[in-house]
Amino acid sequence: MPELTSIHFGKISYQESAAFHFPHGLPGFERARTFLPVSLPDRDPLIFLQNVEDPALCFLALPILAADPAYRLEVSPDDLALLGMPPRPQPRIGADVLCLAVVSLREAGPTANLLAPIVINLRNRRAVQAIAPQGGYSHQHALLPVEPDEVPVPPC
Amino acid sequence: MLMMSRREGEVILIGDEIEIVIAHIGRSRVKVGIRAPKSTPVLAREMKLVRDENVAAAALSPIDPGHFLDLRRRPLKLFPPTPMR
Repeated sequence: MPELTSIHFGKISYQESAAFHFPHGLPGFERARTFLPVSLPDRDPLIFLQNVEDPALCFLALPILAADPAYRLEVSPDDLALLGMPPRPQPRIGADVLCLAVVSLREAGPTANLLAPIVINLRNRRAVQAIAPQGGYSHQHALLPVEPDEVPVPPC
Repeated sequence: MLMMSRREGEVILIGDEIEIVIAHIGRSRVKVGIRAPKSTPVLAREMKLVRDENVAAAALSPIDPGHFLDLRRRPLKLFPPTPMR
């Protein structure tokens, strides 16, 4: 079983089949091709995307519907081809693809990149950061903290 | 912002070294040719936004305890994700 030593999580053993493969990397990280999704029980639903090639590179992500339950995924024909999917129909979140938003922790509060979701084909684990400017989504969608007196909505 | 009307095949010059060619006008998309020196980076604006955002996201160590203490104290308002089949 392959292993990597993450500077964030220490030594991780993983199955090859658990990894996500980005044929072109991510914008700004073109050489980062393989990522492992890491989830920690007390930080659910956050997902850490630990890069295999660079033990220091790790993104924080969220299932996109956790950031925006009404999110409409639109993947370009080029990106669908990269995922090994036909140009039509659009993939369904959860059924065909896993769709994650990269989270940035900034001084003004955390934001999620809804302009460019990470889309993973569940059948072959190929992945792409699918830039979707036509959807009108922000690359810095504010994730609002829960107000102290607000009761969290129970999961349905 | 300077606005110019151009027809298919017409060209705009920016300085002495950059040429923008309106190569094809479709129903909802325009194909643009760009001739520029190799030293001038040319990329779609959203690509630069995403690249910069990725660099910013990676620069902040996601398990920096300071940030997470803050997240735990003030949990994010999240909507339950759709369960995976």
